[in-house]
Amino acid sequence: MPQIRVLPDLLINQIAAGEVVERPASVLKELLENAVDAGSRSIEVALEQGGVRRIRVADDGCGIVREQLALALDRHATSKITSLDDLEHVATMGFRGEALAAIAAVARTTITSLAEGERHAWRIDASDRQPAPAALNHGTVVEVADLYYNTPARRKFLKTEATEFAHCDEMFRRVALARPDIAMQLSHNGRVIHRLPPVEHTKRAAALLSDDFIHHARPIDADSGILRLSGLAALPAYSRANRDAQYFFVNGRFVRDKLLTHAVRQAYADILHGQRHPAYLLFLELDPAGVDVNVHPAKIEVRFRDARAVHQFVFHAVSRSLAAPGAAATGLDAESGPARLPSYRQPDQTHPAAIQSRLAMDSGARDAYRGFVATAKPEALGHSPASLTSVGAADTSMARIAATHTDDDAPLGFALGQLHGVYILAQNRDGLVLVDMHAAHERILYERLKTVLDGRPAVQRLLIPAVFGIGSKEMATAEQCADVLAEMGFEIAPAGPTQLTVRTVPALLANAAIPELVRELLGELADFPASQVVTARRNELLATMACHAAVRANRQLTLAEMNALLRDMERTERADQCNHGRPTWTQLGMADLDRFFMRGQ
Amino acid sequence: MHLLTTTRDAILAPLQSVAGIVEKRHTLPILSNVLIEKHGEQLTMLATDIEIQIRTTTAGDLGGSDASLTVGARKLQDILRALPDSAEVNLTLDDKRLTVKAGKSRFALQTLPAADYPRMNLPEGEGTRFQVTQKTFKRLLAQVSYAMAQQDIRYYLNGLLVIVDGGELRMVATDGHRLAYAAAPIEADLPRTEVILPRKTVMELARQLGDADDALEVVLAGNQSVFRFGPIELVSKLIDGKFPDYERVIPQNHPTTITFDRAPLLSALSRVAILTSDKFRGVRLVLEDGLLRIVSSNNEQEEAQEELEIDYHGDALDIGFNVTYLLDVLNNVSHEQIEWHLADGNSSALITVPGNAHFKYVVMPMRI
Repeated sequence: MPQIRVLPDLLINQIAAGEVVERPASVLKELLENAVDAGSRSIEVALEQGGVRRIRVADDGCGIVREQLALALDRHATSKITSLDDLEHVATMGFRGEALAAIAAVARTTITSLAEGERHAWRIDASDRQPAPAALNHGTVVEVADLYYNTPARRKFLKTEATEFAHCDEMFRRVALARPDIAMQLSHNGRVIHRLPPVEHTKRAAALLSDDFIHHARPIDADSGILRLSGLAALPAYSRANRDAQYFFVNGRFVRDKLLTHAVRQAYADILHGQRHPAYLLFLELDPAGVDVNVHPAKIEVRFRDARAVHQFVFHAVSRSLAAPGAAATGLDAESGPARLPSYRQPDQTHPAAIQSRLAMDSGARDAYRGFVATAKPEALGHSPASLTSVGAADTSMARIAATHTDDDAPLGFALGQLHGVYILAQNRDGLVLVDMHAAHERILYERLKTVLDGRPAVQRLLIPAVFGIGSKEMATAEQCADVLAEMGFEIAPAGPTQLTVRTVPALLANAAIPELVRELLGELADFPASQVVTARRNELLATMACHAAVRANRQLTLAEMNALLRDMERTERADQCNHGRPTWTQLGMADLDRFFMRGQ
Repeated sequence: MHLLTTTRDAILAPLQSVAGIVEKRHTLPILSNVLIEKHGEQLTMLATDIEIQIRTTTAGDLGGSDASLTVGARKLQDILRALPDSAEVNLTLDDKRLTVKAGKSRFALQTLPAADYPRMNLPEGEGTRFQVTQKTFKRLLAQVSYAMAQQDIRYYLNGLLVIVDGGELRMVATDGHRLAYAAAPIEADLPRTEVILPRKTVMELARQLGDADDALEVVLAGNQSVFRFGPIELVSKLIDGKFPDYERVIPQNHPTTITFDRAPLLSALSRVAILTSDKFRGVRLVLEDGLLRIVSSNNEQEEAQEELEIDYHGDALDIGFNVTYLLDVLNNVSHEQIEWHLADGNSSALITVPGNAHFKYVVMPMRI
């Protein structure tokens, strides 16, 4: 009979390490979070051989006093929380108090730290745990060398140096994106990869994410009092084949949460092709008590107290920002250089005239930007009101001028003619606008149909109720969500423990395969508090209707008709993409045109 | 090798009665062909899509030698149709190519060997056999076939239920929202047999059957059915499935019965239908004392209203329907009057013909 024994400490830590220390990147994550939690203003990371050989994180935080250096290496020892109440309101990145112990169990770890008020720094080696005097100007330096030196089995799972470095780099970006107020530096094998001064959110994002993303991004800023979402969401024109450009931070913590991903995905539903993934950088802020981060050892998943509210809030915030009409003008602005995206332009107080000339077009984006900056950098609010009011005043005066200058009034300009019966050419103040008339008209009709049909759906009663088998989990969902289903037009009743009867269906989907539709619906309702399955199916139908009703290529339009279409586009939500996520129009600015003819070179 | 020489119509007429079922797109190239067999003075044409097979046999003064071949059905049909009515057509077969000559026109078509052409075996055993006039069978088809489902996942609804029971022939079709039932007496005494005819077979029969009193012989055996009429023999597979119990669906005791003249109701509904939304076509029927109002509105908030005076003295009743389902039945029955049986806004409505238990139509309401 095997004996039951208490495991030795080292083994416990090594088991914990299996969970927490998956690869060098996870070591880096823990060390960076400790540095952030220590209140550092500057963090330097040095990696060797993808972090396997050595990870060195130096910060200028509060440091650790000599007596506690050994304690820091102990399991379940932390300064971050002291009670369950603290855990429920945790505001620091970490709180479990096991990362350093786990890391020390599988790698050669030393900590050098100068606590405030001490005369000199102390250094501790995890192997002998005896503090020794050391030289350091400020903060803490943690060095982790030879990861998995004592667990060769784990070492075999490590990938190539380049792969491990890529993971570390990604981890570094996540922390850097979340905390732009901290100066950060990353070097690998002695070469500096990133050197990031402390800036506000937008600049940090611009430094770390691709230009294309920034170029196509829409600012988001929504505040419900309890929840606040800010950041950037890329227009469908910048979509990705994988999910690697998705950054979602909850209270500054990077998460990859099913609920949040789902909410964002739904916001992109009918402007993004099904196979593509959206790119975004979003910050959700809420009361720490409303979110449980103690779900996953790496804290990559979270649980919300009111999941439905969060889901709906995120969905509506993102979808509203993507829907705002005419703002693609920002993304397709003809100017070159990093200042291309007007929503990122700092209000330039020394040249108010320059701002004014742009306002007629950009005011929407600018408003959003204002909000975004405010969230990103709360301390900036102190001096901004003055500039904001002046901008606001300029706004109204400009509107008056715009009324006389019809040209400025129309972001998409006025039609010049038709090209091969497919494209509409229009002139706006920046240059030439090309519009795919079928795609644009299709989107206008589609949005119109959607608006008309939102609300209580017509319901067709079935002569022969559809009876079909479902799983017991689905049955539980069906009973729980009977009200939601009835609202959508499905009257359901159990016909047995695993049999469901459907008596009515939404009239628009009367000819759909009901069992398949209901199963899909229940599957989604089981995992997420709200389902758009029915809306999505309905929208497919509407999209077909819109497609058939829209003007076809080779239909000759008069200038008046073309102008009417352009005005409709400016009014219509999501008019910048057709129903399949392709752009409906593009801009060739005067500068682009000049380049064709080598003017001014 | 000279095959035959005859008038255009002697080839075109049988070809047209078989070529209707040839599918345009097929993975088996030979299925786009028609099988032509010439034996003495007899000309047989046969086409199939594996599910249905149609064969016609005609006799006439043909000349030439005997042969079997298969050739592109649609191409041959198009060629013959484009020739002048009175043209004399000459077919010759040389080295796997069929040459069609008429006047100064000449066409050479590729053929595939007749031996490769798939044929359905006729059902074995006696099965259920009966005769009915083409007119009657066609009328029943017309009265119910519009209610069949199209491409429904419940495959058995994509067809038409045929029942013979004693001396009665019944047909039922439903798409899950409405159901049509029609019956007629036949001169036979048969054990109860139920089969489901596939949609395509139903459509083909409705197209080919005549309006005369000529006989139609029906054989139902195993998983096949055979229909023989005039020169045509149509063999069809049956849908293997359990058709819903139609008798349970037909309501028995609806308290309210209203009699309508069919034509005015049909035209009122057709007018109101103009302003319904494209996809679900809902209309509301509002019954008041002595008056029926039919109301519709569409996505653009446009509205239509029709009023009909009716013999109704009860509580006000407001009930919505898909107008397509109502127009279908009114267009496909030929009687002067119809009776409408109602209970309340959530129950089905039953439409019948006065003094005739042989036709019933049930339609479910729609909540608008």
